[in-house]
Amino acid sequence: MSLRSVLGAGLLAGFLLALPQAQAQQSTTLTVANNGGAAGVGFREAYYKPWTAATGRQVIDDSFNQELARLRSQVETKNLTWDVVSVTAINEATACEEGLLEQIDWSKILDPKDFEGVGGFGKCGIPNNFVSGGLVYDGDKFPNGTGPKTWQDFWDVQKFPGKRGLLYRAEQTMEVALMADGVAPADAMKVLAAPGGVERAFRKLAELKPHIRWWKSGDESMQNILNGDVVMTFAWNGRVSTANRTNKRNLKIEFGAGHVSGSQMIAIMKGTPKKDIAIEFIKFTSAPPQQANFARAIDYAPANAKAYPLMTELERSTLPSGHLHLASLQSGSLYLDFWLNNGDALLQRFIQFAAQ
Amino acid sequence: MLALMAPSVVFVCLVFVLPIALFLFRAVDNSDVPRALPKLALVIGTWNDGELPPEPVYRALVADLTVLRGSPELAILARRLNYALPGFRGTLTRTGRMLPASDVPSAKDALIAVDAKWADPEIWAVLRQQSGPVTDFFLLTALDRKRDVAGDIVPVAGDQAIFIDLYGRTLWVSLGVTLFCVILGFPIAAAMARATPATANWMLLGVLVPFWTSLLVRTTAWVILLQNEGLVNRALIWLGVLDTPLQLVFNRTGVYIAMVHVLLPYMILPLYSVMKGIQQSHLRAASSLGASPLRVFFTIYLPLSMPGVVAGATLVFVSAVGFYVTPALVGGPRDQMIGYFISYFTNSAVNWGLASALGAFLLLLVAITYLILGKLVGFDRLKVR
Repeated sequence: MSLRSVLGAGLLAGFLLALPQAQAQQSTTLTVANNGGAAGVGFREAYYKPWTAATGRQVIDDSFNQELARLRSQVETKNLTWDVVSVTAINEATACEEGLLEQIDWSKILDPKDFEGVGGFGKCGIPNNFVSGGLVYDGDKFPNGTGPKTWQDFWDVQKFPGKRGLLYRAEQTMEVALMADGVAPADAMKVLAAPGGVERAFRKLAELKPHIRWWKSGDESMQNILNGDVVMTFAWNGRVSTANRTNKRNLKIEFGAGHVSGSQMIAIMKGTPKKDIAIEFIKFTSAPPQQANFARAIDYAPANAKAYPLMTELERSTLPSGHLHLASLQSGSLYLDFWLNNGDALLQRFIQFAAQ
Repeated sequence: MLALMAPSVVFVCLVFVLPIALFLFRAVDNSDVPRALPKLALVIGTWNDGELPPEPVYRALVADLTVLRGSPELAILARRLNYALPGFRGTLTRTGRMLPASDVPSAKDALIAVDAKWADPEIWAVLRQQSGPVTDFFLLTALDRKRDVAGDIVPVAGDQAIFIDLYGRTLWVSLGVTLFCVILGFPIAAAMARATPATANWMLLGVLVPFWTSLLVRTTAWVILLQNEGLVNRALIWLGVLDTPLQLVFNRTGVYIAMVHVLLPYMILPLYSVMKGIQQSHLRAASSLGASPLRVFFTIYLPLSMPGVVAGATLVFVSAVGFYVTPALVGGPRDQMIGYFISYFTNSAVNWGLASALGAFLLLLVAITYLILGKLVGFDRLKVR
């Protein structure tokens, strides 16, 4: 036997041995896409690690910035790279209607009562955690209650000189503008959807426009306030507490001013061969202990109401959940209908507004 | 010879010509709508502008929607038509949910009872304009135009007009960047061409190392350097030049600085290779005949290095027109160029028709620039040596 044939046989044998192993590994791993950054850390710590420990199944992590095109291209080419995906409520509704997510009757698997407070189950996905965008400032620059209390303060550049950070997106920013114009948070969507509401929001934004620094990603919002480029900003609460922890800073979020809150949903990609495992995984992440751990990791509130009793008073204090009466909710038919119908046109108008 | 060229010709066709042809087709492709509404497509167009269609048209719509009801195709159709008329999505999904039976005495009355919008001539005008296998909708949108109820092309409302300004801004920023690159690149290339080989090699390395560095790294580095608490502002304040930090990034200044830095090598390299070929004896001859250094420069050196300037400027301009990562990172909303929106409509909004239309006009813009440059300086001088 020549050296070459030995090598060849060895290679072949190795390949044959590796093949079933690779297949076996593939059938037990699950690929989960989430928003990445601080949210990704929460997914890893609170969901993946205990899931692997409990079931022996590995999870592959990927990050997803809510571009619907990434779901569409996977489903249309029947080349799925993800099995489970974390989506915003509006993307859940759109992707579900367009057949990009598996339709599942979750009320047969989990108790809908536990999730009612955060908008309830969708046709495809269920709420997984609860995110809140609010008024954020540096507690060290405004000590002892001298900071902004309301969105009117946020708009008041005489009292609080300096740049302001706002989200470069029509959705959420329009609601904030209406709150600054004196609309109660709970009515913001109603006013926005009513005739003249959009004009009112744009008029209010125009007042502050020369002082606005727009941000596009959660990381950017934190960077701007941490290095003092803006004096206050609209930001998502989980980002704030993570920034405080990693940078030893004292950023404050003023829920009392009114905030925009919505569920981040979790759903299953249409046509995945691992649908059953995916359902098991989502069931696991929705259980109270995992939900509480997720909230501890990033401060986005648990979607499952049963998780609250597992947390300490201190842990609960930084969550938006106690302030929902002061929130404009990103759920319900009014919200979804308005943004699905007008989202594209409004965003275009918003971009045009910001560019002038 | 032909056989040797065949692989590269096939390669270029497959990965360059074909995709471009496909994406250009996307800009006018409208097959989604007639495929979803086949019966309606047959009878649509049988009524006068500004009026409501006759009963058979309503009936055809009910028949088509009965097939589509509850399917993903209905949602995709609704999204597509919502581009042309915001609110169409809601009307269509609501109608799909509460669809009248196909044997009602009057499909028209039944549809209007579900949603009063079906009594609005505008919605029917949009449906008629959007029901053919091809559409000019995306191309018109990319030029801030639309068709009104009568089918005439009119400008969109002022608060929706965005793309013409964007093309203007893209051209303007690209021209500015090209100009700065010429001004900065010319002396460097000239110095490199005159230096001793050893020095020239070091200088070349200085040009090439940034050129080899990732675009993203260089752009992010500029953000760090130029921000309010960044090195540049700190140094200027420490030196007493400034009291308050200068806004150098997240505005047009930042875009110019970063883009010029990224594109400068594309200017220097062609210039250097042309200047290297200029015979020193020509310059010496001019001097020995009594020309002043300035005159030598303007009558001998500059015309001889012109092919390099033109080649470098073309390279820089064409690259700058398509830039999007750099302006996205170092610019504000007022500094975004057309590439940003192509990426946005491709990835986030999933409006591939509009993304293709925007890309088609960008391609046209580059082609026109090339033709103008070719006419001005001659096509034989446009090539990079």
